[in-house]
Amino acid sequence: MSLLDYQYFPVSRPNKGAGGKTGAWRIVKPIVDYNKCIGCKACFMFCPEATIIPNNGKIKIDYEYCKGCGVCANVCPVKAINMVSEQ
Amino acid sequence: MMRKIISGNEAVALGVKLARVGVTGIYPITPQTTIIEKLAEMKAKGEIDTEIVRVESEHSAMAATFGAALAGVRAFTATASQGLLYMHEMIWWVAGSRVPVVMVVGTRAVGAPWNIWNEHTDFTSERDSGWIMAFASNPQEALDLTIQAFRISEDERVFLPMMIGMDGFILSHTKTNVLIPDQDQIDGFLPPRRQPYVIDPEDPLGMGNVFPPEGYMRLRESIDSSLRNSEDVIREIGREYSKKINPLGDYSTLNVSYKLDDADYAVVAMGAWAGDAMEAIDVLREKGIRIGLLRIRYLRPWSEKEIREALKDKKGVLVLDRSTSFGRYGGPLYVEIKSTVSDIIPSIKGVVSGLGGVTVTKNDLVYLFNKFVEGMREDVIWYYPKEVGKVELRTPRDIE
Ligand code: SF4
Ligand code: SF4
Repeated sequence: MSLLDYQYFPVSRPNKGAGGKTGAWRIVKPIVDYNKCIGCKACFMFCPEATIIPNNGKIKIDYEYCKGCGVCANVCPVKAINMVSEQ
Repeated sequence: MMRKIISGNEAVALGVKLARVGVTGIYPITPQTTIIEKLAEMKAKGEIDTEIVRVESEHSAMAATFGAALAGVRAFTATASQGLLYMHEMIWWVAGSRVPVVMVVGTRAVGAPWNIWNEHTDFTSERDSGWIMAFASNPQEALDLTIQAFRISEDERVFLPMMIGMDGFILSHTKTNVLIPDQDQIDGFLPPRRQPYVIDPEDPLGMGNVFPPEGYMRLRESIDSSLRNSEDVIREIGREYSKKINPLGDYSTLNVSYKLDDADYAVVAMGAWAGDAMEAIDVLREKGIRIGLLRIRYLRPWSEKEIREALKDKKGVLVLDRSTSFGRYGGPLYVEIKSTVSDIIPSIKGVVSGLGGVTVTKNDLVYLFNKFVEGMREDVIWYYPKEVGKVELRTPRDIE
């Protein structure tokens, strides 16, 4: 399809850290207790920043982009995620 | 091709069938209801394989239609009056997302007070939303424009939704002879739907998400460019339609002229009463008064070029408005015409009438046109036909 040069479309693709890198302002971060985690991926589904990556049945958090919003901790059915203070 | 006596609403439903629409989001509202009844009936008989999504409001009807269109399916809905107002938010959302959708509006008064009869205010109040807006003047045109709308809206130079207005009851519920094209003719005219982006779970994509200020403004400008450039697309597609499908209808222009070339005076009108205006013009012509009609078929894009060309050299222009723009002197068409030709026409007058179903007959128009040619004193009048000349309304003073 050849589009004319005045044609623009309001399209975006989901991407890790849509809000950019977090920097130094985060006050709490999610820590996963892997002894409790059952690998259900609920946190992956709900993380608004797409910074939770499922890998071989386990999940991993990308702290460079994680905003510390706590959504993951809230949706975890077995309370495997704790929000702890940043040092 | 065959001829059948059908109503405007049936004509629209047949247009939807011929366009092989994939999804219609439906919610009933008078006077549009029989469009969706007809579609549901065709679905029940197995004549169409359109997915009919029944929803709980007009807002949802437009949202469901929008969703189907985002997924790349040809999508349709219809509404009127309060329903159109209830859709308002989604109407902007569809245009802003640059998604082809077609909608028919059986135009009707907007409350309060409650009134189900015809006028154009619901339709005209959407004129800044970014939709292409055509207005039919008979059931045949309603069918023809519905089919063309899919082609126009899905053209890569356009990619904008399109709505077609049709006078509630006057066209929606009265029957006339309509030429119905064959399915192969339309299949040859309307290629399968294409659009630049579709939503697909395998390749996730968001449409119309948050945009920073400069990007947002650039997109708005691109909508404006597409809408203005759609003028040529409409002419091109209209010419092809007249040639291949309906040789009796001339769609090579956006707006339509009647006895205008040699006229001293011009009347501008939109919709069904343009037919009565033509008859009234014939009466005046017999008396030697050279007057003609410019019927606005496309409110958006507004063809400045065509309108200036059609009205140039006229001594005066009378604009008939079946809609209101409160707080502004004159109706929306009057304001648009005035801004288009005030530098070349010495006298531009307006009439607001036919609101809420008030019947304006040929004789009323003859009276108005005569009054205008003889030199109307006021710039804009609100005209009540003779039969309802005296309108009595109670004022709070009546209450003790
Ligand atoms: S705290 Fe928020 S941003 Fe960080 S991983 Fe959890 S849901 Fe994602
Ligand atoms: S929601 Fe909780 S249990 Fe499920 S994968 Fe995430 S941390 Fe593990």
